[in-house]
Amino acid sequence: MTTPSSQQVLEVLGRIKDPDLGRDVVSLGMIKDLDVSPQGKVSFTFELTTPACPVRDRFKSQAEDAVGELPGVTAVEVRMTANVRPAFLRPKPSEILPGVKQTIAVASGKGGVGKSTVAVNLAAALCKSGASVGLLDADIYGPSIPAMTGSHVVPQQVNGHLLPIEAHGMKLMSFGHINPGDQPTIYRGPMVGKAIEAMMVQVDWGVLDYLVIDLPPGTGDASLTLAQAVPLTGVAIVCTPQDVATDIAVKALQMFRKLNVTPLGLIENMSWYVCPDCGHRHEIFSHGGAEAAAKRLGVPFLGAIPLEEGIRQDADTGTPVVISRPESAGAKAFVAIASQVAARTSIQSFRQLPVINVH
Amino acid sequence: MEVTWEDGARSTYSGEQLRWACPCAECRGEAGIPGRLARVKTLNDAEVRIRDVTLVGQYALQIAFESGHATGIYTFSLLRHLV
Repeated sequence: MTTPSSQQVLEVLGRIKDPDLGRDVVSLGMIKDLDVSPQGKVSFTFELTTPACPVRDRFKSQAEDAVGELPGVTAVEVRMTANVRPAFLRPKPSEILPGVKQTIAVASGKGGVGKSTVAVNLAAALCKSGASVGLLDADIYGPSIPAMTGSHVVPQQVNGHLLPIEAHGMKLMSFGHINPGDQPTIYRGPMVGKAIEAMMVQVDWGVLDYLVIDLPPGTGDASLTLAQAVPLTGVAIVCTPQDVATDIAVKALQMFRKLNVTPLGLIENMSWYVCPDCGHRHEIFSHGGAEAAAKRLGVPFLGAIPLEEGIRQDADTGTPVVISRPESAGAKAFVAIASQVAARTSIQSFRQLPVINVH
Repeated sequence: MEVTWEDGARSTYSGEQLRWACPCAECRGEAGIPGRLARVKTLNDAEVRIRDVTLVGQYALQIAFESGHATGIYTFSLLRHLV
C-alpha cells in the first residue's frame, strides 16, 4: 500500500478548527516538522499557542484520529508543544518588558474581592501548565504577593537592575519585597505611577510567556499608569457575586475599554461555600452576579471560584492552592480559569495591529 | 505620519494638521479658558515638524514636535476621525 503524501496529511489536519481562534490549525501554523516515513508512520509537532490550552487533549486525539484514518498510515506520533506568541504593539525602543510576550492585568474596581488570590493562582496555574510566568504586584500601598507566595526576600541588585524573586517556579516582584516590614508606603498618586514603572523597567524580568499584573483596587493612578506604560494583552476582572461588587467591577471594565485594553472576561470569586459539617452549599454573596454582568457587557465569563478555607489558609502560609491542594474544587476552578484566560490572550496575538510610519 | 488600521484602512497626516489638532490642555484650553491654538494664527516650522512618535499603552500616540511640544496624547479614535 502507498503511503499518503504530506499534502494529504495536512488536508485532513486542516479540518481541525481552533474553537477560540475560529480558523483551522494548519493555516494557523500549528503543524510543524511533518514527516511521513516510507513505512507509513506519520509524525509531526502540534504547536499550541499556550501550554494552558483548554482543548489540548481534544486536539491531540482529533489529530491522531484524522491522520490514522488515512489509507496507508501505520502509526501516528503527535508531539504536543506550545509557543506563546507575543500579542501587542511594541513601543520603540522596546525598553519596557522587552522579553515579555503577554501581559495580563488582574483588576477589580473594588477591594477585598480576592484579586491577589486570583492573580497568584492564575500565575501558578499557567506556570504549572509549563509556561514561564512572572507576577508583578502593582499594589504599592497594600502588597500581598510576598505573603501569599511565602517570599519575604529582599531582591538583589545586579548592574543597576533588580532581580525578580523566584518562588514556586515563578518570577515575582512586589513593593513588599522592596520595602519590607510593617512600615507603610505613604505616596501621592504620581509616586505610585513611578513605582509601578520602576518595577517594569528596572526589574530584569528576562523572557516570559506571561506576566500577570496584580492591580490595586480602583480606577485611578495605578491602573492608568499601567494602561499607558505597557501595551496590555488584556485584563481579567475579579468580583464577588453581590450587586455592590459587580457594579464597581463594571466601572473598572469600562475604564479599560476606554483605554483600548481588551477585557479578557469576568471572574466570580467567593461564589459559594460548602459547609464541611453538613455538606450544604451556601451562596453567601448571592449567585451568578458576575455571569449576568458579563452577559450584559458582552464579555466572556471566565468561571467561578468557591469560598474555601483551604484557599485562605494556603494564601496565609505562602503556597498557592493550585500547588498545595491541586485536587480541591478551588484549585480546579483556578486551573480552568487560567486555561480560559490563556485562550483569550492567544486570540489577541492573531489580531492585525495598526502600523504607524513616520517619515 | 501614516497609519494602517486594524481593518486595513489607511490614514495619512501632515505634521501641521496634527499640530493644530493637539488635544492637550495647553493647546485646547481648560475650564472655559481658551487654549493657545485658539489665540495664535500661525505656527512656525519647528512647531509643526514631527520629531518623534511614541505608543501610549494600547490606545493612543504621543507626538513630539521639533519645538519641544509633546504633551498631546492622540487617541486612536481621535486620529481615526481626523480627516
